[in-house]
Amino acid sequence: MTRARLRPGPTARLVLAALAAATALRAGAATPDPLPTLLSARAGRMEASLDLSAAFPAGAEREFGNGLTNVVAIYVSVVPDGARAPVALYGRVVEILFDVWDETYVVTVKDPRAPQGVRHVLPDFAALRRFLSEARGVDLGPARALPASPYHLEARVEVNPVSREQLQRTREYIANPSAGTRTAGSTRSVLGAVASFLLREPDPGSDVHLFRSRSFAGAGSAGARR
Amino acid sequence: MTGARSFYRRALGALRVSRFEAKIAVALVVAATLPLLGALLLAGRLAEENLALGLDPRVVERLEAVPGLYGDLFQARKQLYAEQARALARGLPSDRRKAEAYLRSALEKTPRLRRAALYAADGAVLAEAETQAENPEGEWREAPARVALPGGGQLECTFAIEARYFAELGEARDLAELVQGVDALRAEIRRSYVRAFALLLVAWAAGAAAIGILLARRTTRRVTRLVEAVRRLAAGDLAVQVDPGRQNDEVAGLARAFNAMVREVRDSRDRIVYLEKISGWQDVARRLAHEIKNPLTPMKLAFQQLEARFKASPVQDPAFGRLLGEAGEIVREEIGTLQRLVDEFSGFAKLPEVRPEPAELGAFVDEFVRTSKQIRAAADVDVVKASGSCPVALDRQLMRRVLTNLCQNAIDAARPGRARIHLGIARTRQRAVLTLSDEGPGIDRGLWERIFDPYFTTKGTGGTGLGLAIAKKIVLQHGGEIQVGDRPGGGASFSIALPLAPEAQSAA
Repeated sequence: MTRARLRPGPTARLVLAALAAATALRAGAATPDPLPTLLSARAGRMEASLDLSAAFPAGAEREFGNGLTNVVAIYVSVVPDGARAPVALYGRVVEILFDVWDETYVVTVKDPRAPQGVRHVLPDFAALRRFLSEARGVDLGPARALPASPYHLEARVEVNPVSREQLQRTREYIANPSAGTRTAGSTRSVLGAVASFLLREPDPGSDVHLFRSRSFAGAGSAGARR
Repeated sequence: MTGARSFYRRALGALRVSRFEAKIAVALVVAATLPLLGALLLAGRLAEENLALGLDPRVVERLEAVPGLYGDLFQARKQLYAEQARALARGLPSDRRKAEAYLRSALEKTPRLRRAALYAADGAVLAEAETQAENPEGEWREAPARVALPGGGQLECTFAIEARYFAELGEARDLAELVQGVDALRAEIRRSYVRAFALLLVAWAAGAAAIGILLARRTTRRVTRLVEAVRRLAAGDLAVQVDPGRQNDEVAGLARAFNAMVREVRDSRDRIVYLEKISGWQDVARRLAHEIKNPLTPMKLAFQQLEARFKASPVQDPAFGRLLGEAGEIVREEIGTLQRLVDEFSGFAKLPEVRPEPAELGAFVDEFVRTSKQIRAAADVDVVKASGSCPVALDRQLMRRVLTNLCQNAIDAARPGRARIHLGIARTRQRAVLTLSDEGPGIDRGLWERIFDPYFTTKGTGGTGLGLAIAKKIVLQHGGEIQVGDRPGGGASFSIALPLAPEAQSAA
């Protein structure tokens, strides 16, 4: 969701390093899948198109078509080869809801360019899978700001993580479990309120996929694809 | 600036916690939180069990399946509506006018059918019927079912599907997603509950500590003052006293006992100091008496020889005889004065040791008044006994001397008038108090501290300044105290406090 500017300041660099470290820790010793990537320059900005199909197998139809809101979080970072700290981050959150009446997939994509989200209606799972697998328009920032040295892209795909919204709803629920019930408003749990205040860490979920692209030789590698 | 500094200093002082306060606070915290610490260990387990109860995997699974069930319901309805539409299409007459009647009839016969329209292949409406009747199942949403007709054209039927299904679906989805989130965060929620419990425990402990400190402070402040007073006492400050406060507890009792002890120590010290001082003055008096007494006899004998030689002389000079006679009177008078002085010094220097015997103070005073004719001759004496028997230990001879000296002072102070002396006897818990007051001019308050010093007198050359010193020494040797004061209504007052006999103290 968040995207740091290229050439970040010391604080941003620290945050990026912390994020990268957290990502590495959470990923554990898992080996990233290859990330077919197409880079292209557009109006002076570098955009990437990624093939994330490995994260969305055909058998996922049951999960995505269950009529509940499914969330896919995609984080892409630009990491200089040999370094651990990314120099740029891109985040995208995709909310997917299968409309059991219309039998269509309603997809809302939120990213820094459209924080409120852009809505798409897809007719079937095949279309949804294509939509999710082909992550287009991943904004990596100004092309001239990309590292001059070789770099690669790392992507992290979290399927159904506990989103901030879900965390907030859970927090409200444990603070006031009777809200929405027939006895709503009569009691508010003190312990629950404190516990909800202390419930801060969103959970990435267990379905996490890591990808790593090939190395790109600085800004002049646009058009290369693997 | 100074005021602010003083305020901050006071505030810091108020916040400072003594070790005793800290101990009591810790004791309260331990007492308050020890059971809760045990509960804390169970809190995690309890939270886990509660979450397990609330998040039974079967319940979560069923909840997650609810939207799918609605999907199945919708599918069934769609199939039903499609089948009904096909059935209508099969019976559709080819005549347009008949078709309209057929559709109107179909609206009445087909449940939930709200509208039916027959379209030509080019999209033109050939026949149409719509019901305005209220849907018996409440609010509804449109569910279209279209059937392609042979030879082109289309029958479009609009059925009603209950709107509540969509509301229920939304609610079920919200609930399922909530439960899904709670289930996903189960471990973190359990940790949060444990942390919350721990936080409340810390708040509880802090509250208990604050209350403990506040409660302890009421006692410790007084104990601290007592400790401070003990330190001052150790540093030699015998004037220190502690306010026991209004409470009637052990600390107040301790403060009162401390005050009494300090007073006792101070009185003992004063007594010792005074007796040492008197002892020193007695040595001086002894030497003075000796030094003065020694030349008196030779002087007296020498003058007597001179007078005898003059009387035996054959030649008598009358003028010299008168001069010798006058000189003889002066010399004898002065020698007599010196002799009396020597006698008083000697008497002061050779004050005997006190040998107390059991006596009743009232009876002793009565006897003193009865047997002191010279005093009764010079003064009107009355005795008032404010309490019953006052058994004490007295050296009768020495105590008579005390009363004689005090009465003599009263008589001297009243001159040239007749003195009025009031003797009073009373008792406290531990002491018998004899008060002797007169109606003379009294004693200036500024002299009260020095009035018992040896050789201090307000009588000019007429007094030696030993009477009150002797009286005080005798009283102190009896274990008592003597104090000077004013008599209400005018005059001086001396009060002598003597310890009651032990049996009388225990009886009191």
